[in-house]
Amino acid sequence: MEFAPILVYLVISLPLSLISIGVSSLFASSFGSAYPEKLSAHECGSDPSDDARSRFDIRFYLVPISSIIFDSEVTSLFPWAVPPNNIGLFGFWSMTVFSSISTIGSVHEWKKGALDWE
Amino acid sequence: MFEHDFLALFPEIFLINATIILLIYGVVFSTSKKYDYPPLVRNAGWLGLLSVPTTTPLVAVGSPLTVANLVYNNSIIDNSTYFCQIFLLLSTASTTVMCLDYFKQESSNAFESIVSILPPTRSMPFMISAYDSIATYLAIEPQSLCFYVIAASKRDSEFSTEAGSKYFLSGAFPPGILLFGCSMIYGFTGATNFEELAKIFTGYEITLFGAQSSGIFMGISFIAVGFSSKITAVPSHMWAPDVYEGSPTIVTAFPPIAPKISIPANMLRVSIYSFYDPTWQQLFSFRSIASMILGALAAMAQNKVKRLLAYSSIGHVGYLSIGFSCGTIEGIQSLLIGIFIHVLMTVNASAMVLALRRNRFEYVADLGALARTNPILAITSSITTFPYAGIPPLAGSCSKFYLFFAALGCGAYSLAPIGVVTSVISCFYYIRFVKIMYSDTPKTWILYKPMDREKSLLPAITVFFITFFSPYPSPSFLVTHQMALGPCL
Repeated sequence: MEFAPILVYLVISLPLSLISIGVSSLFASSFGSAYPEKLSAHECGSDPSDDARSRFDIRFYLVPISSIIFDSEVTSLFPWAVPPNNIGLFGFWSMTVFSSISTIGSVHEWKKGALDWE
Repeated sequence: MFEHDFLALFPEIFLINATIILLIYGVVFSTSKKYDYPPLVRNAGWLGLLSVPTTTPLVAVGSPLTVANLVYNNSIIDNSTYFCQIFLLLSTASTTVMCLDYFKQESSNAFESIVSILPPTRSMPFMISAYDSIATYLAIEPQSLCFYVIAASKRDSEFSTEAGSKYFLSGAFPPGILLFGCSMIYGFTGATNFEELAKIFTGYEITLFGAQSSGIFMGISFIAVGFSSKITAVPSHMWAPDVYEGSPTIVTAFPPIAPKISIPANMLRVSIYSFYDPTWQQLFSFRSIASMILGALAAMAQNKVKRLLAYSSIGHVGYLSIGFSCGTIEGIQSLLIGIFIHVLMTVNASAMVLALRRNRFEYVADLGALARTNPILAITSSITTFPYAGIPPLAGSCSKFYLFFAALGCGAYSLAPIGVVTSVISCFYYIRFVKIMYSDTPKTWILYKPMDREKSLLPAITVFFITFFSPYPSPSFLVTHQMALGPCL
């Protein structure tokens, strides 16, 4: 039941944002009279030099992959962190083993240079 | 609470620690400027190789006197898991031996490809001893994940990347299907543990029309389909030839060997212990017949060696499934003997293919005049092909004979004749190998580089076993009988 206010927030925030976008178009001066220069891509004033497609850097994949991995580690840390009194030392050490294995993974990543950004 | 579990899980703990140490060692030294960025593949390969056979005596030392349930009943240790694990570790060790020279010749510097053999080696013993459907699923996944990585490891080869993605896609579906089956079973029974499921399904009739619950029937069918695509049984075999063909040869060597032990071991536990029902075995019968026929007929049309090996492995899965479809102790025993001998033969064949690989050994015709350029290798390969075909004095015929015998003994009168006919058909292309090696004169003579010493031991040992199996088969029969009693009792 605590989620009901959040749902109400969602419902209200959508038209609110639509209104704030839409109101500006009411008062815009020359709406719909865009000339080619205005529609061209902005590249510091000059014409775009070459093809817009470029080779994608692999690091933009490596960083999300590692964040996915550590996100899932955090996901399993949440239920561990909440009741520390109930699981005792055994629970503590289990999670220590788990996080040390993923630490090994990040050490490998670090030494391999996957975290370097130039 | 867990003290005894740690003792019993000592082999796995050792392997995990060895993997971690090897990973850190490799990454620290291979990126060190002081040592001039050394390629650590061979070094890490030897260390990895060392850690796998070291695990074998650890399993042997922890041999149970009786049955032991571990980790809140999630895994079990008994005679069958014990022998399966030892055999699995030995076969993984032999695969690692094959790798050693391979990576050096391919000038591949990624020591991770060696290190990623160890996690499957660790998760397959877990899979063998899994006693819960969740544990089964969790053990399947890491083994396949590492195989995907190794399959796509040659990034400059289009075939390898294609095979890797195909392997990944087709390998991601079967566990999904299996998982859906497990969740159906869990939803309709409220139990995931194999022992509880066995209690629930005692006297339960699982046929489609006689079933008290169609949900359970669906669940079991999904589990069977998921398992059978993992061992490339016929209706779901499509990925295997392409993957074997495209991926690096060392990957071709690994999936037909090690998972062929771990997955049937787990299937035995599921199908014989938990869901034991003779009517369900019809699925296995169909799969077995289809695999035998397709394996025999499709392999006839192949010219490439690795595709041929893939189809022959599909056919052999068909022969092994005869053992499942019986569901008697003799059937299980013959299945285990069949797995044992099939793995021996596949280790041998893969070592051969890897040894001849240097000069683009791709087509069967490339073997031409091997009898003159390399006579001992030619003899060894012909000895290997004969048991594949099931020609009498060798081990392969023993396993096939015993499988057919079990099929006749349990009243599966349609399986045995089909098996015999397909095995006669398959003689055609196995003997074609021998004909090419001994009587063909090729236009271009291919001279192969000599095998390295480590790899040459493998064909030597396996050929010895294959040849001298039939004079003294009693140890393996005793062991497999004891193993077969494990899930039945």
